[in-house]
Amino acid sequence: MSLDEFWDWLQNTDLAFQIGATWWFPLIESIHVIAIAMVLGSILTVDLRLLGLAARAYPVSAVSRELTRWTWAGFILAAITGLAMFITRPAAYADNTAFQAKLVLLALAGINVAVLYTGAMRRIDSWEETNIVPTAAQVAAAVSILIWVGVVLAGRWTGHLQ
Amino acid sequence: MLASISDSVANSELRTWVVYLLSNVPGLPPIVQTVHILALGAVMGSIVFVNLRILGLAVPAQSPGEMIKRLLPFTWWALLPLFVSGLVFIIARPDRYFFNPVFGIKFALLVPALILGLCLHLPSRREPAYWEKSAIRRSLVRSMAVVSIVLWLSVMMAGRWIAYSDYLFW
Repeated sequence: MSLDEFWDWLQNTDLAFQIGATWWFPLIESIHVIAIAMVLGSILTVDLRLLGLAARAYPVSAVSRELTRWTWAGFILAAITGLAMFITRPAAYADNTAFQAKLVLLALAGINVAVLYTGAMRRIDSWEETNIVPTAAQVAAAVSILIWVGVVLAGRWTGHLQ
Repeated sequence: MLASISDSVANSELRTWVVYLLSNVPGLPPIVQTVHILALGAVMGSIVFVNLRILGLAVPAQSPGEMIKRLLPFTWWALLPLFVSGLVFIIARPDRYFFNPVFGIKFALLVPALILGLCLHLPSRREPAYWEKSAIRRSLVRSMAVVSIVLWLSVMMAGRWIAYSDYLFW
């Protein structure tokens, strides 16, 4: 089965019809927006804390531990709802430049967070008490903000290229 | 009344300019919408998290009184980009919004959300521990938090449904 055949099969499943041709689509899309706002709201607080611009009264470890679970919850919800919308027109989305850019940016966000949590955040015990956030972690925080702005822009742009 | 406001916006010079910019500046519509969504992220990260904290559902290490004082100003500031980015599209297509029941519902939900936010914020500005001082206040603020979260999420949902009002009203 080629990729085109797979997209075609996917688009013709009962589920894809149910979503694409009914009020399920706007419902799923609005949940997608709320999930994205949750990702942004939680990750932005962590990033700004690393940059020393927010929640300075609390240790980085507490802010990160308590908020990244909300980022993940929001991300999983956004991924599920995103996938649900994707299957209604998979070939068109896969071919959409903005959608491709969004996927690349999401991959970069994943690499960025992996670098942050296997690097500076893993050694947090050695720097937290000094209250000086390592430059590497601050760079990752700034990059994270830029990438997520890009993800939202590319996601919103996707709808304008249909 | 609505019709005349909508008409005067539709016939205004401002609308000509906004429509010109939206159709000629590459990417301007998604950029303006992105500003709107980023500001929703700020609302979520401020007032929604404050209310989740009040309910004991999120960020237990942070103090609710301190959070209210620190974060609600972000909610109020987020209203500015929300309003401006939203207004761009209202000016461009006034009839799409003024005669849209979902748009009306969105604002009918937004107004109490804002009032509840003020009721939460104002007493805490003078006295950060205001909402923790008595059992009555503690239970009142928890009820307010539930309503506030439901309202804000509904406002965000309604915003997206403006484009799909045909599914609800026909």
